[in-house]
Order: sequence, then C-alpha cells, then structure tokens
Amino acid sequence: MNQKFWQSEWFGPLLITVTAIVIVSSLNPSFLSPFNIQILLLAISVNAMIAFSQMIIIAIGQMNLSVGAIGGMAAISFGGMMEVWGIPWPIAAVLSLSIGLLAGIANGALCAYTGISAFVITLASLSIFKGINLGITEAQPFYDIPDTVKSLGNDTFLHPLPWLVLPAVAAAVLLWYLLFRLPLGRAILAVGGNEHAAALSGISVPRIVIVAHAISGLLAALAGIMLVGRLQIGQPTIGDDWLILSFAAPVIGGAILTGGHVSVAGTFLGVAIVAIITQVLVLFSIDPFLVQVVLGGLILWAVGINRYREVRAHRKIAAGAI
Amino acid sequence: MGGPLRFLLSNEFGLIVLVLLFGILFSTLSPAFLSKFSLYALGRTSAVNIMIGFSMMVVIITGGLNLSVGAIGVGAAMFGGWLMQAFGMPWVPGVIGGLAMGAALGALNGVIIVRSGLHSFIITLATMSIFFGVMIYLTRAESYREISPAFTSYGRMKILGVISPLLLVTFAVAIMLSVLFRFTALGREMLVAGANARAAEISGIRVNRMITYCHMLSGILAGVAGLMLVSRTGAAIPSMAGQLGQDWLLPAFLGPVLGGTLLTGGRLSVLGTLLGSFLVTMLTTGLLLMQVGAFWIQTYLGLLLLAAVLIDLARRSYLERRKLL
Repeated sequence: MNQKFWQSEWFGPLLITVTAIVIVSSLNPSFLSPFNIQILLLAISVNAMIAFSQMIIIAIGQMNLSVGAIGGMAAISFGGMMEVWGIPWPIAAVLSLSIGLLAGIANGALCAYTGISAFVITLASLSIFKGINLGITEAQPFYDIPDTVKSLGNDTFLHPLPWLVLPAVAAAVLLWYLLFRLPLGRAILAVGGNEHAAALSGISVPRIVIVAHAISGLLAALAGIMLVGRLQIGQPTIGDDWLILSFAAPVIGGAILTGGHVSVAGTFLGVAIVAIITQVLVLFSIDPFLVQVVLGGLILWAVGINRYREVRAHRKIAAGAI
Repeated sequence: MGGPLRFLLSNEFGLIVLVLLFGILFSTLSPAFLSKFSLYALGRTSAVNIMIGFSMMVVIITGGLNLSVGAIGVGAAMFGGWLMQAFGMPWVPGVIGGLAMGAALGALNGVIIVRSGLHSFIITLATMSIFFGVMIYLTRAESYREISPAFTSYGRMKILGVISPLLLVTFAVAIMLSVLFRFTALGREMLVAGANARAAEISGIRVNRMITYCHMLSGILAGVAGLMLVSRTGAAIPSMAGQLGQDWLLPAFLGPVLGGTLLTGGRLSVLGTLLGSFLVTMLTTGLLLMQVGAFWIQTYLGLLLLAAVLIDLARRSYLERRKLL
C-alpha cells in the first residue's frame, strides 16, 4: 500500500474543510471566535457519534435505519431513569448505553440469523424502538436533568474545548484501532468486502454482523445521551433527524456503501464539513431550510465522486497499470 | 397441482383470512368498529395507505426502493395546492399539475439512479432530503388552504353513507396497475428488467428506461396519495408526511411486504399490496378504537412488519421443502 497521502479518501474532505474555514473566517471573523468554535465542536462531537454509528454498519455492507430510534430510546431512558427513579447519572448513563447495546445486538441477530435484508429489519426495529420511546414518554420530555449532566453537555474543560469532544475523540481513536489494527476489525471489513470469501476463510459472518450492530447501537445510544446533556432535556424527538446526516458524513468521508471500505478520519471530516456548512447558513443568515437541500446535494456529490474513483480504479486494474 | 390449492397457500388468501379474523375480533370487542362512521374513516384512510403502498411496490419490482415517496407525495400535493391557490385553477388542471410534478421528481430519481449506476437507496435518501428541503424553502413551510371546493368536497363525500370516493380512486388505480403488469408489454418488460437485468438486456429490453419508468410511476402514485390527503383535509400541508416525508416509509413498505412483493424484484402482487395495506390500516384503527395506548401503535406496526417477514420466510422454506413453489 504505497498510496500517496493526497490520494487517500480523507484528503479531499480535509482540503474542503481547510478551504472552507479559511474562506468563511476571512468573510466573517466571528467564525473563529472561541465561542463559535465551542458551538461548532459541540455539534461535531455529537454528530460524529451518529456518523460512526452508521459507519460501522456501512463497513459490513449493510445499513441501519434505526440509529436515530436507538439514540432516542437511550436518551429518554437516561432522562427518565434520572427523573422518575432518581438514579445517579453515571449509573443511568451505563444502563442507557446497555439498552443501546442490546437494541443493536437484537438488530444484528435478526439480520444474521434470518438472512432478511438489514433494510427491512432495521425499518421494523426503527418503528419498534420509536414506538417504545413514544409509549413511555407519551411525547412529553423529561425536564429534570442534573446540573452535572447539563454542564458536561455544554461547558468546556479547556477553553474552547467542550467536554463532549472527549468521548468523540475517544470513539474515533478506538474505532480506528479496532478497524485497522485488530483482527476483529479486519474481519468486519472483510465481511463487508466479500461476505462469501470471508466465510470461506474461516470468519464467522453472523458473529461479525452482530458485533458490528452492537457497536452501532452503543454509539447511537452514546450520541443520544450526549444530546440530553447538550439540550438539557430528555426530548422524545431526539434521533428523528439523524438518518440523512448519518449517511452523509461517512460517504463524504469516502465510505463505499457496498461495504468493506470506510475511513474514520474521513467520516470525522465529513461531520466537520456538514457542521461548517450549517453554521455558514446561520452566520450569513441564509435560509436554514436549505440545510436539507445542501445535505442531500452533498450525499449525491460524494457518492458520485466515490463511484468515479471506483470505476477509475477498476479501469486501471483492467489496463494492467497496477 | 390444482389452481385452488395454490390459491389457498398464497399470500393473498392468508391476508383475506387475517382481515376477516381481525374484523370479527374488533367488531366483537368494540361494537363501534362496525359503525358507519368508523367504516367510512377506515375506507378513507386505507385508500391513502394502499396508494402509498403501490407507490413503493412499483419501485420494489426493480429490486430497488424509493425512500423519497413521502417527499415526492408532499411535493406534488403542495405544487397542486399552489396552482389552485395562487392561480385560482380549477381542480382538474391543479391535480394534473401536481401529478406531473410527482412524475418529474420520480423520473429525476430514476435518471440519476441509472446514470450513476448507484443503488437507489442512497440516491433516494439524498433526493428525499433535497425534494423536501426545496419544498419547505419555496413554501416557507406554510399551507395552501384555498383549495378548489369541488375538490375538497369530493374527499369528504360519502357514497351510500359509508364509502369514500377516495376508495374508488384507489380501486381504479389498482385495476390499472393489474392490467399494466399483467396484460401490457410495457408492464411485463418492467417486471423482467427487475427480475434479471442482464437477461432482459440480452433479450432486447431497455432496462435503464424501464427502471426510469418505474420510478416515474412511483412518483405519480405518490402524487396521487398526496393529493388524496389534500382532498380529504381541505388543505395542502407541508407536514402531512412528517419530517422529510419519513412518516410514509413504514406504510409504504408494510403493504408490499405483507402482500408478497419480492424485495429482490421481478415479482409483485397488486391484490396482495392492497390487502396488506388494508390489513395494516384496519389493525391501526382497531387498536386505536380499543384504546390500547395510541402511543404504542408504532411499536405494534414494527412488530407486525417483523412478524410478516419472518412468517413469509418460514412459509417459503416450507413450500420449498414440500416442492410446492
């Protein structure tokens, strides 16, 4: 693998991120003010978790429509346990993360053992989890969130770095280590690349599928819990608008949807690009309704580029250039 | 293998049995279920849900899917509403305009999919966001309420006291779809393109064109569903399918999946989708009437989808073992 760094999938997004920061900050200096950076990092931290939650499923060549529903279910469990049962926040957090983990395992087991497409399974579980969320909350938020949680969700530990950056960076490093340094991670990518070949080489495909979905559920739950701190409220609507973003960031980062190829750094930069664009629309008081259009456009553009790279690579192989 | 036995083992027969069973169950548990008003409401709601199911069905036959049905449906309905309010158009050109918008958005999906060679999942995920975003931007998230009275009174009319005219529209569309896929060359070519693209290509079918047609048809049907909602509520409301039109996704898949349309493409059942969507609407109505917790409905529907695909799996492996398929 003597790939040049400017040929790697994260180089394009990095270039875009840097260019965007330079242009925007020269047009509007308040963009790089500590306060604005803090806001930007808060958004990036939570969104990175959402994107990673989808990325690990894209790595095995599937999709998970229920990331938002799992995140929402974990978020209201977290809020509810603290408000209704008075459970201390660290224990409530661990329990809510376990709920996310279990939800992910359920998704994974159903996909692995029935052979039904992940799309249908996670569409059904999306509805089940969201229904549980609404059934418990009756669409009313939990307001009684401890001050520690509120502060962790908004304040900085080192100006302008918010506390929420820590779990996001930790998740990024751990995922990178898992996917590119551990046998388990290589097995995940192998299953995504070619399930049949992976099975023939002795990898237990069902086990890998379940592990990937379990990680996805855990990360989605973490994102939900972080949002409870950030919004200072256990909102039942948490997770409703995650779907588009969760796919946008990984594909901007060069992930191939048929599986086997994802980039942690690229996904992180994808999240950053989306956050910067959203901020720009606000800073220059452009219509915030256009965020959806921009997100959709970014997905089309990114999958187009990835597809082009793929086709070009195939042509090179066919021409014997490699 | 006789025809009757084959029918008794079919999905459609199973659905008819389920509809009857639940009908009897609900009417004994809650007498209000068979009241004129309840039956009328059931017919009216299922008319829209069946149409949403059809809209997804015609894309599933290509082996793809269309996440943007909701966004297209709302987009078409808003465009129709705008034509009627801003230009005072009578309802016929307004509806035609709305359907044309649906067809255009669907065709755009199709063209991007066949040109890029990418899976319809990611393309329609992106266009769902784009269509909905543009619609909200252009309408400023406001409703159109000055809809032609002839059109809204149609949606509220009661034939013989119980039948909604919307249901008649749905039946007419169902018959047209059956004729299209059973008796016309175009429909057969669409199915063949979905079943095996390469074989279809070799036998001279223009696969890409067929896929684009399927998406266009899906757009038109989504538009019909959206306009039916406008006629029923008397206004074109941007939020009628939820954020990004996501609220339509579950009904859109439930109908065809329950009805035995293969997700891998190439096979469909118009009657099955009709019965599947009707069953789902009936279950929702019945559960709401029995007051088993309106907030839990979504959980039940999710479990139903899960149960349906698992039962279908078991049924198919049973039939295969007995060599009946």
